[in-house]
Amino acid sequence: MKKKLWLIFGPALCAGMLLLLFLGSPFLTKIKYSKKTLQQAASSQAANVFKGGALKQQAFSGQYVPFFGSSELSRFDPLHPSILAAKYHRPYQPFLLGTAGTQSLSHYFSMQPANASLQGKKAVFIISPQWFVKQGCDKNAFGYYYSNLQVVDFILQTKDAPATRYAAKRVLSLTDISDQWLKKALEAKAKGQKLDWATKNYLIYKKHELTHEDVMFSNLKIKNRTKLIQKKTALLPDKYNLASLDQTAKTLGQKHTSGNPFEVSHTFWNKKLKDNYQRLKGKQAAFDYTQSVEFADFELVLQQFKQNKMQVLFVIPPVNAKWMAYTGLSAAMLQRFNQKITYQLKTQGFNNICDLSTNYQKYYMQDTIHLGWRGWLALDQQVKPFMAQTYQVPKYHLHAYFYSQKWQNLSGKQIEQLK
Amino acid sequence: MPNLQPYQNPTYFVWLIGGLIPLMIGLLRGKRWRLYETGLSLAFLLLTFGAEKYHQGLALVAYVIFEVALLYLYLHYRQKHNSGWIFTAAVALAIAPLVMVKLTPFIFGKASLLGFLGISYLTFKVVGIVMEIRDGAIKELKFFELVHFILFFPTISSGPIDRYRRFLSDYQTVVSKDEYLEMLEKGVHNIFLGFLYKFILAYLFGTVWLPQVGHLALAHGGFSWWLVLYMYVYAMDLFFDFAGYSLFAVGISYFMGVKTPINFNKPFLAPNIKEFWNRWHMSLSFWFRDYIYMRFVFFVMKNKLLQDRILISQVGYLVLFLIMGFWHGLTWYYIVYGLYHALAIIICDMWLRFKKKHRLPHNKATKALGVVITFNTVCLSFLIFSGFLDKLFF
Repeated sequence: MKKKLWLIFGPALCAGMLLLLFLGSPFLTKIKYSKKTLQQAASSQAANVFKGGALKQQAFSGQYVPFFGSSELSRFDPLHPSILAAKYHRPYQPFLLGTAGTQSLSHYFSMQPANASLQGKKAVFIISPQWFVKQGCDKNAFGYYYSNLQVVDFILQTKDAPATRYAAKRVLSLTDISDQWLKKALEAKAKGQKLDWATKNYLIYKKHELTHEDVMFSNLKIKNRTKLIQKKTALLPDKYNLASLDQTAKTLGQKHTSGNPFEVSHTFWNKKLKDNYQRLKGKQAAFDYTQSVEFADFELVLQQFKQNKMQVLFVIPPVNAKWMAYTGLSAAMLQRFNQKITYQLKTQGFNNICDLSTNYQKYYMQDTIHLGWRGWLALDQQVKPFMAQTYQVPKYHLHAYFYSQKWQNLSGKQIEQLK
Repeated sequence: MPNLQPYQNPTYFVWLIGGLIPLMIGLLRGKRWRLYETGLSLAFLLLTFGAEKYHQGLALVAYVIFEVALLYLYLHYRQKHNSGWIFTAAVALAIAPLVMVKLTPFIFGKASLLGFLGISYLTFKVVGIVMEIRDGAIKELKFFELVHFILFFPTISSGPIDRYRRFLSDYQTVVSKDEYLEMLEKGVHNIFLGFLYKFILAYLFGTVWLPQVGHLALAHGGFSWWLVLYMYVYAMDLFFDFAGYSLFAVGISYFMGVKTPINFNKPFLAPNIKEFWNRWHMSLSFWFRDYIYMRFVFFVMKNKLLQDRILISQVGYLVLFLIMGFWHGLTWYYIVYGLYHALAIIICDMWLRFKKKHRLPHNKATKALGVVITFNTVCLSFLIFSGFLDKLFF
């Protein structure tokens, strides 16, 4: 009977074993994506691109430059960085990383599978003050952009350090990892313990398996925005000229924001505000973006930038002034947030800061908190020269202090006294 | 709790095979571990009808209670009396939930709360039992086995449609070791062929090509070669998707020591349309043949409603395929699909009689021609069935 059973199930078992062996092997883990695929991925903001590695690696090894951010990146008006870069044939092309819900910690982990290709790259990082609420990123949002590949790479690449332990603990507190072996490895990392031989080999096997999965599937289902981008470039003047671009931005802004009290785009007004803005009057007076675990998560991002020797332009966007006045969001609080984050950046050597936070002109914002027409153009005024500079190896010096509870909770007067 | 639809993805198979191993060891040792089997069935039903689909699960429970009660009541009645009216009423009641579920979207514009995945196939099984109780072929019902038959999870979502007496004889006995080994072999073969059909070929035809071809056909509008291509691609998708699913259902049944009947037997190689229906979705067409066509023919002959035998069979086909059309749904293209097939089979019958009478040649070439004609006739019917023409013309 045994022989007969073997004849029946043997081939299937062998096929299964071969498949597992192949998935776990280091062979065929690289694939060359077409130019078109890369182009689509760069503007797709797709979750599987964000979670994976293969597409990012190839893109960053070429002319693509990461633009880290969140929901503002999906505001595709004609002055959006991707569209300006396409229209005026810039030597760099933005690769959008992030969409609604991606905050510092997600960005830190999203870089893990692509670190090798990020060495010595330039990048733009748009900081949203709204990330810096008390608890930092939302559990569900983090879970949505989390992938095992990111964490396996993180475990295999990082050495024991306060930053490493902090990052491991944060992941454990935010997601429930179903792979128990991986979870144990991460717990060991959080405690600063060494991995045993078997775990290490399991993780290497897992890395190959997840990489195969990534290579085969991460280019599926990416939103194709190339046509949209083509269409929008037609609305821009043929020659790059600041005055005429500003005029275009004004005209478009006016056209899209007329007829509502906050000068937000029609779509946003109709979808999000029209029916419930009255309930929000004065409701944001107590909002505080100065005390948050996000400051420590953000430090992880800086740490990774340092390790990758990246030159990064940080952007601090403003909030719609009319909306602020209506909801009671405190300008003084935003000012303190600005001071605190600037301090964290500058004291550690991150000096490229594009601070738009006090720009309250018309048509700067597409809606309540997201950059639009003239805001994008103002950003471009800094991105363009930043990208044109020749790359210099940056000198950063990080302080573990920025992971501390003390720094996370620093507020009020204490911030004003920072030098 | 996770929710997995039957044979949806590799994860389902991993869980399924894992769950079946103890059962298979039992069967190899000549034992059917009923308790384990019941637990496994419940677990997989919960996997399909639990979590976010719990409302379907509740509908399923209510449905089974209703139908089982109906079967027992009718059996109880039938042991003493045999009125045709009560029989008709029993059938009507048995199909009532299905009819309601099918009609609700047309009347109220939304899906019925009574609906659940596979309600049609469960109803076919139940109606079959009612008919056989009437015939006196089923004289007693075993509660546990009956529920197990209705809820047999490998075939719950889309058949094949088994018969109660056949299922019972499998379920009550344990096959010999040699025979079981043979079943295992067939099971593995079926499941792997199913992988090829459903996860590779149906994916290629249905997910990759069909939307592209459909888009081009719509862009062109009216009649175009894209439409012709769409017809073939759709037919291939329909076959590989459904045949793949059926192979899984049969394969898994075999692992469980139950010889669920096969559903497809190279239908596209059928030399004529009559033969096609003996090879396509067989458990359904045999169900329609036995419980609708045959009964209709006997009824007409017994009551002498019609004399001409040929005419009787022609009307019988019309009834059969119209009911099948209505069962698919209340849209013009399903009903036209039914009429089309009735017509095709009537013409086929006429041709066969003509051929016999005039002793026309029958050889490989004529057979090949028959296959080609049948294949194209069927593909055209599937194009009607797909509803694509509805999008194209209206």
